[in-house]
Amino acid sequence: MSTKSPTEADILRPIQNVSKTYFIMFAVAALALGAFLIGWAYQLQQGLVVTGLSDWGSGGGVTWGLYIGAFIWWVGIAHGGIILSAAVRLLGMDRYMPVARLAELLTLAGLSAAGFYILVHMGRPDRMVTSVLGHYHITVNNSPLVWDVTVITAYFVLTATYLALTIRYDVTRLRDQLPDRFDPVYDGLTLGYSEKEDQIIDRMVWWVALAIIIMAPLLLHGGVIPWLFAVLPNYPGWFGAVQGPQFLTIALTSAISGVILLSAAFRWAYDWDHIITDDIFRGLLLWLGFFCLLFLWLQLQQLTAGSFHPTVDHGAATASKFSHPLYVGPILGVLGVLGFIFATTIRPSLFTKLRAMIAGVIVLTATLLEKLYFVLSGFWYPTFSIYEATPGDYFPSAIEISSLLGTIGLVVLFFLAVAKVIPVVELHAIEHLRGDHGHGHEPEHEPVEESTKQPEVEA
Amino acid sequence: MSADDESFHPLGEEWENDLEGMLDDTEYDTDLGMAMAEDAMRVTRGELSEADFHEKYHEEVLEEFGEDNRPTQEAYEKAQEEAKGTVGRMLSRFDGDGEEPRRDVMKKMGAGAAAVGLGAWATVDDGGQEAVAAQDEEDDESGAPEGGEGDVQWGMAIDLERCDGCLSCVTACSSENNLDQGVNWMYVLEFEDPGASSSTSRNRLVRPCQHCTDAPCEKVCPTTARHTRDSDGLVLTDYDVCIGCRYCQVACPYGVNYFQWDEPDISTDEIAEFHEDMDGDHMTTDDGYGSERWVDSRAPRGVMSKCTMCPTRQDGQMGDEMVGTTACEEACPPDAIQFGNMHNESSDPQKYADNPARGRTLAQINPPSADELEEDLEGADEDLESVLEAADLDEEELALMIAVQITGGDEMGDGDGDVADLENDVTEALAAIESHGLGLANQEVLAELDLADEPDLDEPADGDEEGVDVDDEDADADDEAEDEEGEDEEENDDDEEENGDDEEEEDEDDEAFEPDEEAAQFLLEQFAGTPASNFKLLEEQGTNPNIIYLGNEPGPQAEQTEPTGTGVNYEDISYERADGESVEAVDNRKDVLDEGTVGDAGVSL
Repeated sequence: MSTKSPTEADILRPIQNVSKTYFIMFAVAALALGAFLIGWAYQLQQGLVVTGLSDWGSGGGVTWGLYIGAFIWWVGIAHGGIILSAAVRLLGMDRYMPVARLAELLTLAGLSAAGFYILVHMGRPDRMVTSVLGHYHITVNNSPLVWDVTVITAYFVLTATYLALTIRYDVTRLRDQLPDRFDPVYDGLTLGYSEKEDQIIDRMVWWVALAIIIMAPLLLHGGVIPWLFAVLPNYPGWFGAVQGPQFLTIALTSAISGVILLSAAFRWAYDWDHIITDDIFRGLLLWLGFFCLLFLWLQLQQLTAGSFHPTVDHGAATASKFSHPLYVGPILGVLGVLGFIFATTIRPSLFTKLRAMIAGVIVLTATLLEKLYFVLSGFWYPTFSIYEATPGDYFPSAIEISSLLGTIGLVVLFFLAVAKVIPVVELHAIEHLRGDHGHGHEPEHEPVEESTKQPEVEA
Repeated sequence: MSADDESFHPLGEEWENDLEGMLDDTEYDTDLGMAMAEDAMRVTRGELSEADFHEKYHEEVLEEFGEDNRPTQEAYEKAQEEAKGTVGRMLSRFDGDGEEPRRDVMKKMGAGAAAVGLGAWATVDDGGQEAVAAQDEEDDESGAPEGGEGDVQWGMAIDLERCDGCLSCVTACSSENNLDQGVNWMYVLEFEDPGASSSTSRNRLVRPCQHCTDAPCEKVCPTTARHTRDSDGLVLTDYDVCIGCRYCQVACPYGVNYFQWDEPDISTDEIAEFHEDMDGDHMTTDDGYGSERWVDSRAPRGVMSKCTMCPTRQDGQMGDEMVGTTACEEACPPDAIQFGNMHNESSDPQKYADNPARGRTLAQINPPSADELEEDLEGADEDLESVLEAADLDEEELALMIAVQITGGDEMGDGDGDVADLENDVTEALAAIESHGLGLANQEVLAELDLADEPDLDEPADGDEEGVDVDDEDADADDEAEDEEGEDEEENDDDEEENGDDEEEEDEDDEAFEPDEEAAQFLLEQFAGTPASNFKLLEEQGTNPNIIYLGNEPGPQAEQTEPTGTGVNYEDISYERADGESVEAVDNRKDVLDEGTVGDAGVSL
């Protein structure tokens, strides 16, 4: 860990420099996205028959698969990201200020990927506007899918507003060092800026953060996304009140994992050891552990209720969880991560940044697979489970799998592009780091204490 | 519709004869009526101008009716709107009594629509007159869709114990709707049910869409593409609106939806061409609010489809005789599917589900026609044995017919469905036998048919049939007298009645001897059996399905057995589509769809 003082130059480095690695990453990400776009074009031409999906029931398959599983996954990452960022502002968790904007950007990127999945999943994406908006006033009263579209849109707008408000401060002050070629962008972002607004914007952002924190559990990943499934009584694996909290924990674990990976990548790329400190990783890891615990706890609730003296359909749905690798794998993965995090609190030397990253990868993989299993198992174990001779066979087709790589590529591209235009670490964070700790301060010691303390307080 | 008889009326000779009969019943000249009717048809075909028509019959009409209020050229527009249906109404118009309220349905036909029955006032270029010819009956009995306001809810009673698993319904549906391979809107399966108590009947399920009153598929639809028609409760998909999110399929607890994953095998042009001579294209139909929606036949690529219960049939596109029918019902050899208005107590499904043994009996016995019977019975004796012999009936057949009548009660023949038709056949056949002289309400006869106890030996048992010389005047007098005397006297009246008041005696017998409904029901149940249960599928899901099943209800542990076909295997049947292609049926659609999967790994998660 460096003892350098964070400077404006640090956060401008991504904008002012470009490396070979950058181009390679850009190319790989673009290739992944491009490959999927070609696949999608083929799908648009041929129809959804190119997927591994079929009709459930006598159709012998599952009608929702990886597209929907990945959709929830991305939405979860996105929602968790903004919750994280809002919590930092709202609760004054200043330590995480350097990664707050990364989390906000992750929300925009994740929502973009999720929105893309909605289109990809549809049989007639061309009718989105005419059919959905045209009947919105009727369908918004009934259809959880319309609630979803509504709330996702609302959140996108909210997050973008939030980001736009906070970015004005940075751009105005760093304008001289920012590349001239993006001047129109900067002009737009700082339209009508005056220093008098700083304090007002601060309060506005606080309120927006409050709105986000209130809405998230009520409406977002604790609400409309799980309600897509939880309101359908014909699927015992979906139906019920636990899905709201369960989804929220999944969203938060995956978002924290995402932020850990992003932070590590930026720290590695731009030598930000003194900005995104080990301390931040330790803190994030503890939060991850806390939400992993909640995740497992709610899974346990379902396993218990579904196996003690369940109804026939509920019993079958739960029994599969004890044996299916798509469920057992993720649960063991999360359990392992939780064990590791617990161990690091007892013996801090077990912590390394690499291990934190591995934990992040494991959790993201686990949440993706769990989401996929969640979607599929609904169709595998419906209440009306009579169609035994035409069971729900499914394996994602090449195009579906490429969609996953493609959307990851999309998100990577988003960060690669945004990092060249705006500072992905807030100027506030730099000022805060300097103001709080001053030049030559040893940051390792105190934050470690904080990081072990904070989650307990929150919990 | 018969095209080869020589009738002038588009509905054929039988219809024409019926109408002629109706004219005969009036005090007016039948020949004139028929001649005018024939020429009225010529007017509709454009072979005769209305003015000429008016001119041609003016004098005769004046002579017959004393006035001629027929629509003339000037009154034509008004007349179109007030086009009248039956002969009776037609005649009443001649009388100048044209003030009857117009029926809603006629209003909806609009000014250009066709006239009805014999009173065929129609625009020359509109060939739709036949479609509404029997509208009267539809209106009154089934409360046809145009009646609106929730009085029609199409649905079915499906007798799983009568189903022989031949899959005729599956192929008929696929053929009628030009479905792709594996798209089995109608699906029949056999299942094992480890949790169920042993039952003698087969575990079989016939599974069309349940057309739920509270359809969850509709509730979750983000576009209103999945909708319930107000006019008749059918749950349909607007193929022009659906975005293919498949949420309806997810929300449906029955698994009846089929997504169109790729380009359908048959084009809309081919479908339209195939139905060229139909009053519609078998795809689009009026939604009840005046706009056409594409809701029938196979779906286009990227949208959802499922069993529709044949809306274009219900809307009269395939001819009036097809209203109230579905392709699967029509194709079912053992009549296991009864389609009709679930809101009407006398509809086929309601009557059938109300008394399945009786419904099954009706579907199985073939009552001889009254005419045939009259012919056969001519010259035969009036006793039971002779009647049976002459009519070529066995005792059981007659007993079943009587049992059907006894259990039918006041509702016998009510309604306009197949069940009602069969009931009427039975009534007519029995009436023919009775008018020949065999007293079917007679205790002795019924006892012989196991429909009553043996009559008390102390009472004279003959006389009823033989003593047919009724003295009406005496009877009337006696009736009055007896009414005054009151009931107390009745028991002591026997002698008096014996002396020549047969009608009174019959009345007395009827009072003393009620037909034994229990015995009749027992006979029906012995013959046709009673279903193991009467259920709706997954009622606990709160969907309010509109299909009543008769037979074994699949329990929560029920599992489909292989091969999926029941009487016949899916792979052994095929159906023909409008393009003439024969398609082999497939029970598991995934097998078909896998061919289009990119990078199909051949494995499953």
